[in-house]
Amino acid sequence: MNDVLVGRALVKRFGQTVALGGVDITVRAGEAVAIMGPSGSGKSTLLHCLAGIMKPDAGEVHLLGQRIDAMGERKRSALRRTRFGFVFQFGQLLPELPAEENVALPLMLGGVPRPQAVRQAREWFAPLGLHTMESRRPGELSGGQAQRVAIARALVTKPAVVFADEPTGALDQQTGQDTMRLLVEATKHNDASLIVVTHDPNVAAWCDRTVEVRDGRLVSTGVRA
Amino acid sequence: MNLDLTWRLIKGGGRRGLLGTWLTLGAVAVSTALLLFAVAANFAFDARAERGAWRNPVPAASGPAESDAVAIEASRYDYVRDQAIPVVDLAALKQGVPAPPGMPRFPRPGEVWLSPALAELARQLPADQLAKRYPDPEGVLGDEALVHPDELVAVVGHEPDALEMTAPRSDDRIIAKPPVKVSSLAGTPSEDAEAYRALALIASVLMVVPLLVFGGAAARLTVARRDQRLAALRLVGATPGQVVAMTVAEAMIVALAGALAGAAVFALAVPLLAGIEMQGGPWFAGDLFPSPLALAGVLVAVPLLVGLSAVAGLRRVVVSPLGVAKRETPPALRFVRVLALFVVLAVFPLLTRGTGVGIVAVALALAFLCINLVGPWVVGLIGRITARAARGPARLLAGRRLVDDPRSAWRTVSGVALTGFVAGFLGLLSPGVFAGEAAPPQLRVTAPSGQVTQVAEEARERLAAAGVTATVQPSKQAVVAALGSSADAATLDRARTALTGLVPGRTPTTEADDQRSGSEILTDVRVGTIVVLSVSFLVAIASAGITAASSILDRRQTYGLLRLAGTPLEVLDRARRAETLIPLTVMGGGAILVGAFCAVPFMMGQVSTIGLITLGACVVAGFAGVIGAGALSRPLLRSVTADPAPRPD
Repeated sequence: MNDVLVGRALVKRFGQTVALGGVDITVRAGEAVAIMGPSGSGKSTLLHCLAGIMKPDAGEVHLLGQRIDAMGERKRSALRRTRFGFVFQFGQLLPELPAEENVALPLMLGGVPRPQAVRQAREWFAPLGLHTMESRRPGELSGGQAQRVAIARALVTKPAVVFADEPTGALDQQTGQDTMRLLVEATKHNDASLIVVTHDPNVAAWCDRTVEVRDGRLVSTGVRA
Repeated sequence: MNLDLTWRLIKGGGRRGLLGTWLTLGAVAVSTALLLFAVAANFAFDARAERGAWRNPVPAASGPAESDAVAIEASRYDYVRDQAIPVVDLAALKQGVPAPPGMPRFPRPGEVWLSPALAELARQLPADQLAKRYPDPEGVLGDEALVHPDELVAVVGHEPDALEMTAPRSDDRIIAKPPVKVSSLAGTPSEDAEAYRALALIASVLMVVPLLVFGGAAARLTVARRDQRLAALRLVGATPGQVVAMTVAEAMIVALAGALAGAAVFALAVPLLAGIEMQGGPWFAGDLFPSPLALAGVLVAVPLLVGLSAVAGLRRVVVSPLGVAKRETPPALRFVRVLALFVVLAVFPLLTRGTGVGIVAVALALAFLCINLVGPWVVGLIGRITARAARGPARLLAGRRLVDDPRSAWRTVSGVALTGFVAGFLGLLSPGVFAGEAAPPQLRVTAPSGQVTQVAEEARERLAAAGVTATVQPSKQAVVAALGSSADAATLDRARTALTGLVPGRTPTTEADDQRSGSEILTDVRVGTIVVLSVSFLVAIASAGITAASSILDRRQTYGLLRLAGTPLEVLDRARRAETLIPLTVMGGGAILVGAFCAVPFMMGQVSTIGLITLGACVVAGFAGVIGAGALSRPLLRSVTADPAPRPD
């Protein structure tokens, strides 16, 4: 297995608070990694630094051997659009776009013509159990359905890594389990790696390994299956 | 209890919440200040009309009642340089006649009283150009006698049987009013003053409607920011009444503060506004202050309207708390809005220039309100077309956004679009300026029947004595003195002075003098148009700026998510621009056409070039203003998306 995403000695401070105090982490191709920890432990900050949303104060992030933390905002933005996918707990869908256009949007942002982007987006609906939901707006979908649309949107660009921050946090347990199953299966099916931030062991159980963050440091790097 | 909670909601709104409150307060302050200006304009023209009324005498009733007459009054226009001098001739018929306005007593025969500006000009110019026409002035007229502070006015006392008070004169509003017996010097506002009042009323309607729309939009912005929180209150069991009361209270507290700030801004701006020249001069500052009753009315009406507007904006929250929380597809707007506009427009071809100004004002106000009703419907329609035709993400986002919330998109552009209506209406209405031909000046004075030759001879002698070279010839009932091509303004005034009193009660005038009144009205219409359009554009651009900033704050989560997904800022900016410019182009263009359509029944002659230039300038200024206002909010967009990590609000 090749290393896809590598974070080395990552440090991030917010004023006097040290959110990350020198974290090392490696994610391999096709691997699903859960980042666990209590509230305020720094797990979301770690995800944001790895995804190029935030610049670490110190340390390095490499994607497929290319250093990305030193890139300017424009390049990191392009990277997020083409190589990463995101699934979050709340409101990740644009409320004014129908579901299929929400999924097609990342493709259109990458220059794919609209008819082709929408056609590609529609292909994701049936496998994710969203048949006939294509033209519904996010407000007309259930929480589980909205998360499945978000999974489709995260994967439609064939990203190298999918980041998920508490993806089941707003769902009941059964829907949460179904969503995680779909997320892990779909990610693996697309040869993408998955990084999930969660505080729920049931969610973490779907991943290949779990790393634990406390007070901005990794206290366990997990066991690879 | 509700008030207490409301106050806490305002204070606890956080930095962004407070920014929104300040934006609303600022918007209400601007609209109140301009609303006061629109109201004050009517009071100001009323005050001018009342003060000038005494120079427009009402004849005492004929018959036995004629014995109640106390004086004879006549008026005419004299000229110096390029300015008119209303000259009032007065003769007492009894002892103890009350003093005319602005004078300590009734003028005695032979006395001359001058306005301060005329007295000053008489001192500045050589005596043979002005002062000799009004020798040895007895005193200076007070403000009560003057329409505006720079007005040139002369009052001359006579014996009742003097030729000036008995000889016939022309009877029209431009040249003179013949002597009439009056039982009081109260008079009545002149035709011109009434025309100005009517124009002021129409201008006020044209300014007030966008202002009210702007104030309402500001109120809804408060609601837009609060609706999530108020929906949450509904979800935890607050009654619709409590939610409405809290919203109204919040909107009205902010609106009252804004209205008071606006009144203060208006008071500070009065000296500046007083400098706008109309009817030949600036204003008395006191004229521009609305009456205490009107001021109190505005200060009460503005918070009330803002409160009502807030209630209207809250309807969806109150009806269904999930309506806001879940962002369902909004119900389509009804076509009946368009029908309402067509019905109102169908009335306009029935109007004529003779239609009462009140009816025209109401029809204009209705057309205005209907455009405002139709706006969101059209925005929704063009949103659907834009979304369907979009090839790239920016257009798609813009189109979907327009469909999602057409009212909000309309609020951003409504000011400029409604100003387009004003520009379209006034653009066609503004008559062009008569092109005066630069011919050598000729002074003409009508002579009494059978005395033309004698008057011509005397004119020749007087002009020769004054050293003015002129060819004097009788022409039908008049005597014409052609001054030659080298005559300048000073020579012309020397000639006027020399010919003063040549024919009692008549003033020698040039063709330009006779056209002066008309060109002054045209100039005033142009100034009025510029004032109305400036006010409207100021409101529209401020409205666009505030709405654009508020829209970013309201949608910060959406923008953050788009940035997180890697959307370049340029795409977001393009989407925002399209979201504004597409409806602006369609509705602005539509409103201009509707305005022009409404103006057709009142057009005089052909379309004026100046009107079209004004219209073109408005279109350019409107687009530039809205684009500029949008560009000003770009740093705000950058700042709210600087940290694109999503967080639940």
